[in-house]
Amino acid sequence: MDAVAVRRYLAAYRVCLRIAVRQATTYRASFLLSSVITLVGNLAFPLVTVLIYGSGAGFPGWTADEVLLIQSVFTLSAGLSGLVLGGVVFVTMDRVREGTLEIVLLKPVRPLPFIVLTTLQPESAGVALGGAVLLGWAASRSVHAVSVTGVLSFVGLFLAGLCVMAGMSLVMAATSFRWVGNSRLPEIADSTRTFGRYPLAIFPRAVQSVVTFVVPVGMVGFFPASALLGRSVPGMWPAAATCVAFLGFGVWLYHHQIRHYQGVGG
Amino acid sequence: MGSAVEVENLSKTYVTYKRKGLFRREPTTVTAVDDVSLTIEAGEICGVLGPNGAGKSTTIKMLCGALIPTSGTVRVLGYEPFRERRRYVREIGAVFGQKSQLVWDIPPVDSFLMNKAIYGVPDVQYRETLDELVSLLDVADKIEVPTRVLSLGERMKCEFIMAMLHRPQVVFLDEPTIGLDTIAKAGIREFVRGMQQRGTTFLLTTHDLEDVERLAEHVVIIGGGTKVFDGSLQDLKRSLGETKIVELTLAHPASDADLEGLSVVGRRSDLELTIEVDMALMGPAELFATLSRSLEITDISIRELPMERVITEIYTSSRR
Repeated sequence: MDAVAVRRYLAAYRVCLRIAVRQATTYRASFLLSSVITLVGNLAFPLVTVLIYGSGAGFPGWTADEVLLIQSVFTLSAGLSGLVLGGVVFVTMDRVREGTLEIVLLKPVRPLPFIVLTTLQPESAGVALGGAVLLGWAASRSVHAVSVTGVLSFVGLFLAGLCVMAGMSLVMAATSFRWVGNSRLPEIADSTRTFGRYPLAIFPRAVQSVVTFVVPVGMVGFFPASALLGRSVPGMWPAAATCVAFLGFGVWLYHHQIRHYQGVGG
Repeated sequence: MGSAVEVENLSKTYVTYKRKGLFRREPTTVTAVDDVSLTIEAGEICGVLGPNGAGKSTTIKMLCGALIPTSGTVRVLGYEPFRERRRYVREIGAVFGQKSQLVWDIPPVDSFLMNKAIYGVPDVQYRETLDELVSLLDVADKIEVPTRVLSLGERMKCEFIMAMLHRPQVVFLDEPTIGLDTIAKAGIREFVRGMQQRGTTFLLTTHDLEDVERLAEHVVIIGGGTKVFDGSLQDLKRSLGETKIVELTLAHPASDADLEGLSVVGRRSDLELTIEVDMALMGPAELFATLSRSLEITDISIRELPMERVITEIYTSSRR
C-alpha cells in the first residue's frame, strides 16, 4: 500500500469513526442501554469468580485476584476487539444474505478494511474501559513485582490475543459466504473463547493444547495475565506465533470467500 | 467517441442446491447469463430490458466488478473489472434501486463525506461537484436531514449524488426508478439525460419501459440469460413490422359481419374497439376506406405498438 492509499484509509477512518459515533448517538437511550448491557454481560464473569472464591472454593494454584487479572485482560481484549471488529460478523452475514455486498465492492478500497471502518461499535468502548479499570485494580492486588520484561511480554501477548479475537471474527464472517444465515456461529465462538477466561491448568491436557495451538483462545486472557504475574507458561511464545498465523488465516479466508460471492437474485 | 463498454461471450453459472428429502440435497448448475456480447459507445445511454430472472442484474454486477464471470471478457474504459477492481471502480458509479449506499441514520451529506474520503476527492472538487449535483437534483434542503426521514424519491436523488461525487465516466443504473412516483421519475430521467449530455455513459436496467423510451438510444433485451435483441429504439419498434394500434369509437355497435377481416384485439364497450393493422399491407387511405365501408366511426386514433408488447413479442419469439 503506498503513502497516498494510507492517507486515504486514515481520512476514511476519521470520517467513519465520526459516523459511527453519530449513528450510535442517534438512538441515545438504545446506545446507553446497549453499552450498559454489554458492560454488565462482560463483567458478570469476574463477579462469579468473586462468588466462587468467597464461598471457599477456587482454582488450585491461583488466588482470586490472579484469576480476576486473567478475566480483566479478557474483558479488555473483548472490548477492544468488539469496538473494531464487533460489527464485521453480523454485517457480513447480513450483506451476504441480502445480497448487498456489491455496495462494498463498488468502493475503491479493500473490502475488509471498508467493512471494518463502517461497522465500528462504540458501545464496546464501555467494555474496554471497564476491562481496563478492572485490570488496574486486579494488577494492583496481584502483581507484586513489576518488571520491564513482564510488561513487554504482557503487551506482546495481549496483542497476540487481539489477533485471535480478530481472527475468530473473520473466520466466522468468512463462513457466512458459504453457510448463509449461520446466526448461531457467534454463540459457538463465544463459548470457545470462554476457555481464555480461566487458568489453563484447570483443563485436561488435550483441551490445553487445542486452546494454545489450534484455536489459541488461551492467549486472550490467560497467557498475557501470566506474563504480567511473572509466571512462565511453556509454549507461551510459540502460541503467540500461532495467534498471528490464525489472524492471517482469517484475513486470507475472508478475501478468498469474497471472490466466491454470488449475490442474490435481482 | 470509442466504446466505453465491450462485452464478449459473457457467461455466469453458479451452483445451487435442490432439496431432496430431509438431509439430502442435489447440486444444480444454473446459467444466469449465457454468452452475452454487447458494446456501448462512450456518452451513450444503453437500456437493458428483460423479465425478472433474465440475467440483467447479474450482468450489471459483472460489469461493476462485483461478480466474477464464469467465461467471456468484459472491458469497461479499458479495464477488466474484476481483475482491476480497485482502480476500475474509481472510474465508475452505480445506483441500485433496491440497495442503498447511504447510511440510514445519518444525513446523506455525512455519507457523501465518507465517499469523498474513500475516493480521495479533493476538497475543491468535492464542493463544486456537490453543489452542482445538489442543484441539478434540487435537494439542497434534504441532504442535511437523516436519510431515514427522506421520501423514496429524495433518497434516490441522494443515491445519485453518492454515486457521482467522484465524477465517474460510466454509471450503471439497476432499476433506478423502481417504486418512484411520476414526478420523481421525471426528475431522475432529466438528471440522467443532463449528465449524458456532459459526456457520462449510462447503462440502465429497468422494468419501466418509459425509462427506456425517454432515455435510451440503444436497447438490449435479455431473456433467459441470453441476448435476444441489440439495436436502436427505432429498430426495436420496427422489428415487428409496421403494425399499428387503431382505436375506434363507433356511432352504433358493430356486428361480427361488420368486423370481418379486421384484427380486433380489444373491446372496451360495444362502441369502443381496438384493432391491429399492418400498415405495410394496408396504407392509411385504404384503412379508412375499409373501415368506412362497414362502420360508422365517430373518432379514430392510430398509435405505435406499446413497447411492452414489442418486448413480449421479441422475448416470446426468441424462446420458441
